[in-house]
Amino acid sequence: MTDVPRTADATLARRLKQGDMDAYEELYRLHARRLYNLAWRMLGNASDAEDALQEVFLQVFRKIDGYRGDSALGTWIYRLAMNLCVDRTRSRAAHDEQKTETLDPVRMAEPGVQVPEMSVSRLDLERAIAVLPEGYRAAFLLHDVEGFEHREVATILGIAEGTSKSQVHKARLRIRHFLTQPSVATDAVTGPHLLEKRA
Amino acid sequence: MTCHEFLDHVPALVEGEPGHRLDGAAERHLASCESCQRLVADLRRITRTAATLDGRPVPPDAWHRVAARLNAEPGFAEVGNRRAGGARISYSWPWLAAAAALLFATVGVAWYAGLGRQSSSSAGVAGNAGQDQLVQSIENELQLAADHYENAIAGLEKVASASDVPLDPEVLATLRKNLDLIDGAIDESRAALRSQPGSRVAQESLFDAFRRKVALLQDTIALMNEMRKGDEAGAARIIGDLTKS
Repeated sequence: MTDVPRTADATLARRLKQGDMDAYEELYRLHARRLYNLAWRMLGNASDAEDALQEVFLQVFRKIDGYRGDSALGTWIYRLAMNLCVDRTRSRAAHDEQKTETLDPVRMAEPGVQVPEMSVSRLDLERAIAVLPEGYRAAFLLHDVEGFEHREVATILGIAEGTSKSQVHKARLRIRHFLTQPSVATDAVTGPHLLEKRA
Repeated sequence: MTCHEFLDHVPALVEGEPGHRLDGAAERHLASCESCQRLVADLRRITRTAATLDGRPVPPDAWHRVAARLNAEPGFAEVGNRRAGGARISYSWPWLAAAAALLFATVGVAWYAGLGRQSSSSAGVAGNAGQDQLVQSIENELQLAADHYENAIAGLEKVASASDVPLDPEVLATLRKNLDLIDGAIDESRAALRSQPGSRVAQESLFDAFRRKVALLQDTIALMNEMRKGDEAGAARIIGDLTKS
């Protein structure tokens, strides 16, 4: 994961503070696609994702005075975006967490637990991501899908680096559990209650 | 070592952390435990597949809506106006060059001399006059480019509509649908440019829509020519391209 050099960040941040629309457009060009995709996968639909994208840019304007350059501007913006997405999904995610927390993906590694063959199509993987609890989903998307390093994921999500590693690992285990269910292909289209049903 | 204990080693194995080496017990466990071998292999596949997930394209006009919300945000306009002294319009030469290149490539060399003369005269003015004149000059250039596109489109539409070659109703419906979509994009981009004349995205969006319309009309005429010649293979190829666009 690379980012624009800090000097460029500082210049861009100064222009953003000045309400320079060209600077906002530049920022949009740099990050909109990734932000939109993160929001899409966090929130689950295009309409909410675009609304989140707009809201992130409003928050950039509202909060740019507080940007001190301690992290890359990109990292700071992804943090705004992920906070926004997490806020919007919190109640829904908490609900899912209650339903899925009884799963023990670790058991999948124990001898004697028969794990069916796993197939990983991109479509099934998208479905599996969609039913992850929001904390796992955020870490998995940032690390495994978007390619951020664990230290960047930690900064973006405001967690320890070790927690990022743990969240991503648990997300992978849950995805594997999802993908090894015999009826994924037919049930997955119906969404989160697949795990609920099996828990 | 149990599978449960071995699980601590799995993240580093899956991510291929540099410098991570399994100790003897973990290595022996992995070598003998089919379940853990499968676990590591499965998680690696998940990680590899995740890195290849397709990105969904951002709606092409999403920037306009972001900009509109920024403009509507209390305080945004005030901050921007203080900075710019009230003037927020800006065009850049790279964009102008890109628009001109697009125009030459699509519409043809017929206008090259005319636009070239206009560009050099504008450059001369820019060298001697102030910023306002420069901005005005560039706006004129963009308008000229837009006019050329519109002339080209009008000419192509005329040729297409004057043809006596009957088109298959299904192909015709597809053409009309595509033209409607492009016209919608042109209208939307024009509206965006009116509200935000300096937006490069809106400028690019407008010229991209123009380019697509010219290309579609050119394909339509090419299709009619192939049909007139009785070249079914050529016509089928063009129809394939048209229905994909």
